[in-house]
Amino acid sequence: MNNPHHLNPTSLKSRFTTRFLRALTKIRAQKPISSSSPTEIFRRYRRIKVAADKSMAYSVRSRRIWSRAMLWKLRSRSYRRQDPCSGRRSGKTNQAIMKKSSNENTTTRREDGVGFVEEADELRQLVPGGETMNLCNLLDETAHYIKCLTTQLFSPIGKG
Amino acid sequence: MESNAGTLATRSNKTALEREEVAALESLQFTDEIHCLMSAPATDNASSFTALLELPAPQAVQLIHSPDSAKLIAAPAPNVEDFKGGFHFPSNGGLIERAARFSVFAGEGNNKSDSPEATSNNSSANLQKAVKSEPAETDSSQPLISDPTVENRGIKRKDPEKVKGQTKKSKTTVKESSDDTEKLPYVHVRARRGQATDSHSLAERARREKINARMKLLQELVPGCNKISGTALVLDEIINHVQSLQRQVEFLSMRLAAVNPRVDFNFDSVFTAESGFFMDSNFSGMVMPMMWPEIQLSATCLGERRSLQ
Repeated sequence: MNNPHHLNPTSLKSRFTTRFLRALTKIRAQKPISSSSPTEIFRRYRRIKVAADKSMAYSVRSRRIWSRAMLWKLRSRSYRRQDPCSGRRSGKTNQAIMKKSSNENTTTRREDGVGFVEEADELRQLVPGGETMNLCNLLDETAHYIKCLTTQLFSPIGKG
Repeated sequence: MESNAGTLATRSNKTALEREEVAALESLQFTDEIHCLMSAPATDNASSFTALLELPAPQAVQLIHSPDSAKLIAAPAPNVEDFKGGFHFPSNGGLIERAARFSVFAGEGNNKSDSPEATSNNSSANLQKAVKSEPAETDSSQPLISDPTVENRGIKRKDPEKVKGQTKKSKTTVKESSDDTEKLPYVHVRARRGQATDSHSLAERARREKINARMKLLQELVPGCNKISGTALVLDEIINHVQSLQRQVEFLSMRLAAVNPRVDFNFDSVFTAESGFFMDSNFSGMVMPMMWPEIQLSATCLGERRSLQ
């Protein structure tokens, strides 16, 4: 089928779109059509949001710190959900790791010698995985993250 | 006095030349260049340095020492193509005159070996004078090779890596005047005027410049950031932008969840109907995170129906 509007198959946009579409069809296949109660909608919304994040992170793979952090978060969350019993072990270690890192972050403020510590900290909370980045990398990752968010928003899935 | 300074600078210039495209230069004629230089009207820093390089070393040196030629020092890396494109020269008749006057030194190539302290001070003083007369030369980003005082000590050359690093970092090629560090054998650094050259401040300066470069990129990405001056405000803008993008994504996924799935998504149809989707969803979804998805339902359903038929 000749398609003049077809996207470049290797671009970030097309990778994200295909993955997200697949996830969406899966989600919609599971749902009963008649449900329109707020809880159902909310549950579906959570799943769609996770699917969007996941497809984005998988489209970027491990090339970026934020995508790695996002994938790690998603995986640890899914492991904990799937298997709460044996997940206790992994959950513990995960929790320990996260607590440790958060403690470190609260005690060691990154004073980089430049004057914007508060803004930088806020940015670190926004960008996934930002707590472990120095200012230089943080700015890099922010730029790529903004680019990917915009791709998400302007993908042809009716997201904007 | 000036002759000694001249020879010192000659040596530094020679090493500069050796590093740059000497082979290409040798093929160029001298007389033609002088004529061209005399007739060139405007001062274009981009090519004036290449003009400088076309002359044999002593002439170039004399040009360095004239106050206007400090501009030449600040020019970009020499490039034969640049030169062939036509060069300009700081339009100064006195400059040419001085070049002619000092053409006597073309033959005095043998004085390079003696390098007394006094002359080094002189040369730095001269350069400083030249420097002071061109205070505004900060925008061209050029690497210069080490200063003559250091060269005189027969010191090893700059690391090529450090050259590259300096190329990226240094904004001005104006020589600076901290004395102690220049006595050390390894300091081959382009420092800005009046700044210290110890390793800590250098590293810091490099970091700051990296950060500034990235801030510039971010400013281009975030709309409306170009007019803001001041890094903290720009960072605030960036933070707001990221937050709004994240909220938009959440809102749109909420909308997707609210729309009842009527039609199966067909990949091709999605891609071909891209424009259709855009028009409808753009119209209804001017992204306000406050709006409830139910309100959007009818609009999006309409959109879907129309574009997916």
